[in-house]
Amino acid sequence: MKDVMGLIYTSKNETSLRELTASRAVAALPVAGRYRMIDFMISNMVNSGIRNVGVIMQKNYHSLMDHLGSGKEWDLHTRNDGLFILPPFLTRDNVGSYRGILDALHSNLTYLRRSTQEYVILTNSHTVLNTTFDDLLDFHEQSRADITLVYAHKDPEEVDETITLSPRHVYLSVNGDGVLTDMEIGPTEPKSHNFYMDIMLLRRDLLLRLIDQAFAEGITDINRELLQRNVHGGPLRICGFEYAGYNHRVETINSYYSLNMDLLRPECRRALFGVHPVYTKVHDEVPARYMDGARAVNSLVADGCVIEGTVENSVLFRGVHVGKGAVIRNSILMQGDAIESGVEIEHVILDKHVTVLSGSRLIAPKLYPIVVGKNKTV
Amino acid sequence: MVLLRKKQCIAMLLAGGQGSRLGILTKVMAKPAVPFGGKYRIIDFPLSNCSHSGIDTVGVLTQYQPLELNSYIGSGQPWDLDLNSGGVFVLPPYQKGKSGEWYRGTANAIYQNISFIEQFSPDYVLVLSGDHIYKMDYNKMVRFHARSGADATIAVFDVPLEEASRFGIMSTDGENRITRFEEKPPHPTSTKASMGVYVFTWSVLREYLISDEADPTSKNDFGKNIIPRMLNDGRKMMAYGFEGYWKDVGTIESLWEANMDLLKNPPAFDLYDDGWRIYARNPIQPPHFIADTARVSDSMITEGCDVAGEVSRSILFAGVRVERGAVIRDSVIMPGAVIRSGASVIRAIVGEDSVVSAGCTVGAEAREGEDNLIALVGQHTELPENFVVNPGDQVDSDMLRLERSLNV
Repeated sequence: MKDVMGLIYTSKNETSLRELTASRAVAALPVAGRYRMIDFMISNMVNSGIRNVGVIMQKNYHSLMDHLGSGKEWDLHTRNDGLFILPPFLTRDNVGSYRGILDALHSNLTYLRRSTQEYVILTNSHTVLNTTFDDLLDFHEQSRADITLVYAHKDPEEVDETITLSPRHVYLSVNGDGVLTDMEIGPTEPKSHNFYMDIMLLRRDLLLRLIDQAFAEGITDINRELLQRNVHGGPLRICGFEYAGYNHRVETINSYYSLNMDLLRPECRRALFGVHPVYTKVHDEVPARYMDGARAVNSLVADGCVIEGTVENSVLFRGVHVGKGAVIRNSILMQGDAIESGVEIEHVILDKHVTVLSGSRLIAPKLYPIVVGKNKTV
Repeated sequence: MVLLRKKQCIAMLLAGGQGSRLGILTKVMAKPAVPFGGKYRIIDFPLSNCSHSGIDTVGVLTQYQPLELNSYIGSGQPWDLDLNSGGVFVLPPYQKGKSGEWYRGTANAIYQNISFIEQFSPDYVLVLSGDHIYKMDYNKMVRFHARSGADATIAVFDVPLEEASRFGIMSTDGENRITRFEEKPPHPTSTKASMGVYVFTWSVLREYLISDEADPTSKNDFGKNIIPRMLNDGRKMMAYGFEGYWKDVGTIESLWEANMDLLKNPPAFDLYDDGWRIYARNPIQPPHFIADTARVSDSMITEGCDVAGEVSRSILFAGVRVERGAVIRDSVIMPGAVIRSGASVIRAIVGEDSVVSAGCTVGAEAREGEDNLIALVGQHTELPENFVVNPGDQVDSDMLRLERSLNV
């Protein structure tokens, strides 16, 4: 897949993720014990043989830049192509903040023009999946599509109901030839269960043309004004490609929580880690240490953790310390959290470097986990 | 002409030895590549020490089974040794004109790389070996060497008198100047053991290497030839005392012991020290998973593991799978090994990517009045079901194949 380039659009702050995205983009959100959201998408691209990956950044991209660095972990620190970090910048006609993906692409026209690949895969950064894009490209070429959109079948109950009406929730109706017959944006009762995953494949020259056109016509909403219009009688042949594997979109605290909890199930772990390698920034951590009297069951524990207490059904990121007599249940503890002795925690998400003082109890109902922001002491 | 930056001190790491006392563990890899401590290899310790000590040019002399070691070192990036000026260099023996030969001894290995060393015109050369677990600031030792104006400085470690006959033993005067050196003396008179860490003033060492090479009776060995000769000549040789943890992991028993030292509380050797991290090259794996049926206590478990059995007082390297109903006690399980349901592994080392099948018994609990040796399963070895490996025994796939052919 050397003739494909990848472009990842990292969206603005996600308010429905509360404190977790106060100081970071969703793309940089820590997941699965040691990764960041964007690791999966970049790894998918690299595992597909893509050698040119651009990451469009918006706000709060500091932690994302720190994480990606030179792209070394993905072998994208090459002389030709490699990783391109594309933060917004101020020019005469660029205000440093994007009004959507078309606007963002327009600001990065030079990069797109200078790239040499025939195709572009354009994705968002809030979906986690482990795949390669070879089948997608085959499908795209065989169905003679101008644009191919990737969707996953989702039962209505799988979709986070707190945001069903979000215009970001797009459903695709597809005919027997794979051609889109309808594209519904934020419907209450969708006609199909084909949930659009915000992954799109098209020729680079077509993308350049569309960006130009959109700019000329003042179009900013790619879904409503460009794709939907075309589905409803435009010149472009837009096809839908079904992705049948495990995928999980993170938009709310509940979906963030359920992604991490999914990983306690062997089939989900296999789907996310047993297929192709997932790369991330390396830290030199020591193995996790279980002390005498520690008890851990059904949990994911990263290196550098020291466990003296009890851990059940939880995800512990790197370097978490669980003190004597502390009990952690159904919780997500990010890097460097310190749980002092005797603490009891249930349905809690602790951001990085949180200290929970001895004797505290943090118990929340499953549907509304407690979220504690970075560097706080409870 | 390309100018290389002059280096005050460069390190030469002797990594060519087979380490035959590690038995089948070093059949297909050199000793420095042997896994240690859950996610490291022995060579990570000297390399990380170099990196922390500001020694950014390291020649690694390889000879025996170098493949694993070569790919492990790679560009040197995990140790911050992928530099434009300096960095890590793997130095195997090579053909020179009509001649060309293997490294005949430690001193000969350095001799054959004189032109490599000269590129950096160093004032001092640090000679290291790849058999020890320790954290040491070499820079302090180099400064000690420079300040004392010595020709050679040898790092020494205080050992119990009854163990001293296993080491190279140094006698010193009141100013730490070495007066006598004996290799494995039967009746030691001092407890200062050589750690296999030397700093030489390069111009002096160079001279000795050349004259040693010209001597056909020499074994071309630092301990046997170079050091005694320098002492005889009245060269200024200093002992540099090192305090802290230092362990030779040259035997199966000592390798096992050094791993177990990590589990002491507080640990005899602290890997969790933020100021002196041990760097390693590791494939990225997800956090380890502890299943409902698992019971884990007093152990170290590394990423990529999947534990559903019982693990106590043990070290599990990356990607180890322990099935439900398997029992692991006082053991070291190297990367990628699988311990199947109903197997028990007690006081044992299981090599990389090996499979201990259902019903197998590897090793046994320690008993009073017995030797209590460690059982060893080699690398890439799949034990047949219900197989027994007794304490002190070593089994690998070659032996299993031989046994099968004899039984037919």
